[in-house]
Amino acid sequence: MSHIHIPDGVLPWWLWLGGWALAFGLLALASREGARVESRRAVPLIGAVSALVLVSMATEIVPIAYHVNLTVIAGVLLGPWLGAISAFIVVLVLALLGHGGITVVGLNTLVIASEMAIGGALVRTGARAFGRTRIRPVAAVSTVVTLALTTTMLVGIVAIAGAGAATRETGALDAETLEFRNPFSGGVVSVGLLGGHDHEGETEEEHAEHADEGGLSVGRFAAVVYTLGPLGWLLEALVTAGVLGYVARVRPSLIFGAMRVEPQYPRYGDEHGRH
Amino acid sequence: MDVTAVDRSAVLGDTLLHRAAPASKLVAAGLLLGAVVTMDDPLVAAGLALSLTGAAAAVRLPLRQMLPLAAYPALFALVFAFAAAPGPATGALFVLKAVTAALAVVTLMFSTPYPQVFAPIQRITPTIVGDALLMTYRSLFILADKFADLQRAIRLRAGISARQPVRAARATTRALGGLLLYSFDLSQREYDILRLRGYEGGLRVSVHTSRDRSADGAALAYATLVLGVAVAFRVLPALAGYAWIATLAGALDLTVGLLIGRRTR
Repeated sequence: MSHIHIPDGVLPWWLWLGGWALAFGLLALASREGARVESRRAVPLIGAVSALVLVSMATEIVPIAYHVNLTVIAGVLLGPWLGAISAFIVVLVLALLGHGGITVVGLNTLVIASEMAIGGALVRTGARAFGRTRIRPVAAVSTVVTLALTTTMLVGIVAIAGAGAATRETGALDAETLEFRNPFSGGVVSVGLLGGHDHEGETEEEHAEHADEGGLSVGRFAAVVYTLGPLGWLLEALVTAGVLGYVARVRPSLIFGAMRVEPQYPRYGDEHGRH
Repeated sequence: MDVTAVDRSAVLGDTLLHRAAPASKLVAAGLLLGAVVTMDDPLVAAGLALSLTGAAAAVRLPLRQMLPLAAYPALFALVFAFAAAPGPATGALFVLKAVTAALAVVTLMFSTPYPQVFAPIQRITPTIVGDALLMTYRSLFILADKFADLQRAIRLRAGISARQPVRAARATTRALGGLLLYSFDLSQREYDILRLRGYEGGLRVSVHTSRDRSADGAALAYATLVLGVAVAFRVLPALAGYAWIATLAGALDLTVGLLIGRRTR
């Protein structure tokens, strides 16, 4: 669960608008840094890698609501700045196909861009430290660490949203008693069109009580994602290790070209280094 | 996720919505998303989902291809609802919001070619982002086809089998590795083309205008009405007990929409 599958209208407006603002800031910075790469080369490269991530995301593992992401691979291939641009494109196209909310595109961009940057950096550092022959275990461990970090980011976002999320039980139908009731008896002002309740004038105890009633259940959410998540992390780690291992074998320049990783075996002579 | 079906409908379709200006449809989709953000009653959300489906049926958009795509986020919303919703009604609201928002954007994408949807985004994002967005969508079709071919080839060679999950996983991973190599070759070819054509940044998209003003008016009026209903149910306490009317109206819209769609066939 590397990115947010939270529907539109659940998170408070200030959170998703803030996410959009931060994402645009990141895009501006990434475009400036990305301009160092020739745009004729950068544009098709971002396009191809983003399309690859989108194709992999279209394959879903139903029982745990997980799909392969390949974001760590994208981070290795693109680096952090072009990766941030790719993250925005992937999230936007997915949202336009109904997968993930439009309002959470900004937050999702931040999460996936972090995933690409952290994953790419960990794989590069690991490959330098342990050598290119150990690319599979390095990729697998890096992927698990990255996904654990970004899942924590996701839990953090839900925790920030907390009681401010528009999750009130304000339906006219009470699902427990199956009776119609009036949840607006507190008056129009208390409704709060785009955010949570306006609890002005309440004591702290009353406020805390209301927060428990309506907010997202952060503890339960964390418990579920940290229970289901590791299955996904493991799957993603296996796929990432498999793909990077395969590419490292058949076309190593794609992965190690930009990394400048010295081979751990003698470059010249036979397998024992004899000339 | 059949992206080619979306593109085929957007480019080759000729419904009332196809004739509206992309700008009007984008504004209408924005208003509908505003309604999704505003509503906080599962019955109103259900009404909106039914009504949107009815509207799509009335203009004869391909519902059989649209509905699975719109229902797809429900799966993830269900997990989120189970994990985070404080109660069953809120859980239902999460799922319905996900489906309704997806229906709104899927309706837009099934009736508008992607360059027309991306053109306004290109204007507000840096050049490299806008250009890469267009290039991604182009590459997506090529890679999706290639991946489908690779999977078919593996299946024909009995590489993907439920009885041998390790072998299947290895074969799929190799297919993804092959796809990665192919995507790099593709980007190299695209680079050569861009260089030959003297690309210096800034792919231009000519924006379509409306072919039927009444279509623009209908799309905008419908979206405004839906947003009005969502806001009314949110702010007027007197309406709280009548949310079932919104569901009923949605069901009526769906019935009428299906009948109109069938009659105009």
